[in-house]
Amino acid sequence: MNAITVFIISLVGIGVGYFLYAKSIDRAIIQPDSNKITPAKMYMDGVDFTPANRNVLFGYQFKSVAALGPIVGPIVAIQWGWLPALLWIVLGTMFIGWVQDYASIMVGVREEGQTFGALSFRLISRRARTILLIFIYAYLLLIMAAFGKIVGFDLMTNPAVPLGVLLVMVLGMVAGHMTYKLKMDILVTTSVTVVLAFFGIWLGTIGPVKSLFLAINGGATSPLLFGSVTWAQFLWSIVVLLLCYLGATLPIWRWAQPINYVAFWIVFLGIVGGTIGIVIWHPAIPADFPAFSNFEGKLGELKALGPLWPLLFVTIACGAISGWHSLVSSSGTARQLEVETDALYVGGGAMFLEMFLATLSLLCAVVGVGYEKYVVLVSKGANAGVFANGLATFLNKIGIPVSFGLPYGSVFLTLMALTIMYLVVRFMRVASAEFLGDAVPVIRNTAVGTIVALALSAVMIWTGFWSYVWILFGGSNQLMASIALLIISLWLKSKEKNYLWAFVPFIFMFITSIAALLNTAWQVITANLRGALPIDKLIGNWIAGGLAIFLSIAALILAWDAIKALMRPAKVSKPAEA
Amino acid sequence: MANPLRWLNWRHTLLNAWRAFKDVIYGMTTYEMVRDLKKERARLEHLFVLITMGDWLGIPILPPYYALRLLPYVLPQIPGWRCCLLRERDLTDLTDFET
Repeated sequence: MNAITVFIISLVGIGVGYFLYAKSIDRAIIQPDSNKITPAKMYMDGVDFTPANRNVLFGYQFKSVAALGPIVGPIVAIQWGWLPALLWIVLGTMFIGWVQDYASIMVGVREEGQTFGALSFRLISRRARTILLIFIYAYLLLIMAAFGKIVGFDLMTNPAVPLGVLLVMVLGMVAGHMTYKLKMDILVTTSVTVVLAFFGIWLGTIGPVKSLFLAINGGATSPLLFGSVTWAQFLWSIVVLLLCYLGATLPIWRWAQPINYVAFWIVFLGIVGGTIGIVIWHPAIPADFPAFSNFEGKLGELKALGPLWPLLFVTIACGAISGWHSLVSSSGTARQLEVETDALYVGGGAMFLEMFLATLSLLCAVVGVGYEKYVVLVSKGANAGVFANGLATFLNKIGIPVSFGLPYGSVFLTLMALTIMYLVVRFMRVASAEFLGDAVPVIRNTAVGTIVALALSAVMIWTGFWSYVWILFGGSNQLMASIALLIISLWLKSKEKNYLWAFVPFIFMFITSIAALLNTAWQVITANLRGALPIDKLIGNWIAGGLAIFLSIAALILAWDAIKALMRPAKVSKPAEA
Repeated sequence: MANPLRWLNWRHTLLNAWRAFKDVIYGMTTYEMVRDLKKERARLEHLFVLITMGDWLGIPILPPYYALRLLPYVLPQIPGWRCCLLRERDLTDLTDFET
């Protein structure tokens, strides 16, 4: 099969999913009305509720939902073979992913911009909201652990990468200063900072700079610091946490926002270049790369991941379905929708575009890297490095040397992760202040709240196995998605509409996610009981196991309350007697 | 016979597509920056309304004489301020207020 055929399969998936299934649900069940006033207009306060053009909102939604998930997930999941991963990406988006994103927006719009926290309180129970919020906190902690490990342990330890990343940070601050203080034209600011950022990435690849960072890393084989954590991994994870501290405490306009802006162009140009490269190259999928390896996810010499069901369905989270999207859609996008009829284009459309990104990432590994190199890289724990290698191969087809493409791919991924991590730490800080502020007033302090969030993240980053953390992150993400689908089903029932199109995906995702979490808990606990693990892995495994069991129990309690709410007879309001 | 004005439709379609592409890129890039700036401005304006019209909330900061003098300038901001102030907030809303 040719790589272009895979793209065509994705496009057919988009066509069938969007134009047939999604549009029919939109027309027959939700029935959006372009004359109805949306919360963006009704409550226009210039702060949260502001109507926006559908194309602008589409761009905003896509940028907010597409992070590291659709890139790393497919790379890990092809251990079961590339075909199951591709099928889940296409079918998951077609039947589940868009349902959640689109319906989250519509529920938000019809419920006057209320978030899922408030809706769970109203539609399910008082404790449902508390559980949901604790659940979100744990989920965010897992994002920090999964992304922090990728960036601090894998990408930044490559001596050709750190200079590029650090320069993008500095140039982002320069971009902010040029825009807000010097009032310079955005085109000039963009041109100067983005060109300099690319120059910085190239600068990182030259000999003396690489030697310098190699020396900082403690040589080609960095010495062990504690357990199995090397000095380089410790150092760069500290740098990542420091960057997150700045991102979470400095004003948005000073740090996070302009850096994200410059980073966007680095990422966007990489995606465009990679897509053009693969279209020009249009290679066949290598014959030695198995379409299906086995049900255990054991590819060649690699360690088996576990059973295809349920683990494949949580390993690829974003790119098929993701709980993060429901948070963005309900509390962000729903409050900016100008007319109800834009919801499918914005929510569903962005989800289908993300599916395309996940397919590109899958091809990066299968075609751009190939079987043998993939096995070598993954066995070294360089899952993110697989994407960087694949992207470098694609960019090479349009004349960009691999010596630049490789660190560029790593900087690309690092920036994608960091832009989300700032937001996550910000949220964790606010959540901890809200939960514990009355009992422990000091946690209301911005610096203290942030340090607590970062300390918890550091423990998660420095301990345990990345593959288990990734599956836990995927499992909690999918569980979050299934809870969103459940709230959507409850809302549809309360409006006396057909809710099966959201409820059936809920059942599948809920059972799958719980099974995946419990399977991971079982794997990490039995690995610990077998013994012979370094102390950091041992501690990490206990934390991972405990977290998996805790999340499963929390989700089951929430689902129990929700099912009771679903079984309650609908309240029929009688007209008042005269 | 082919319609001689057909190319005009094509031009119109291409122009629309280009405009849509520009909007999408704007949405991915500067839109959030613009939104944050608007939020910042709205917050300052709401603070101004609170200082001048604080009496309504039981926070008498400014003597009513000056509040009345400032009323015409504050009046356009009041509906937005009212919506923002009275809206119930969930924890998921709070991150937006931490700049």
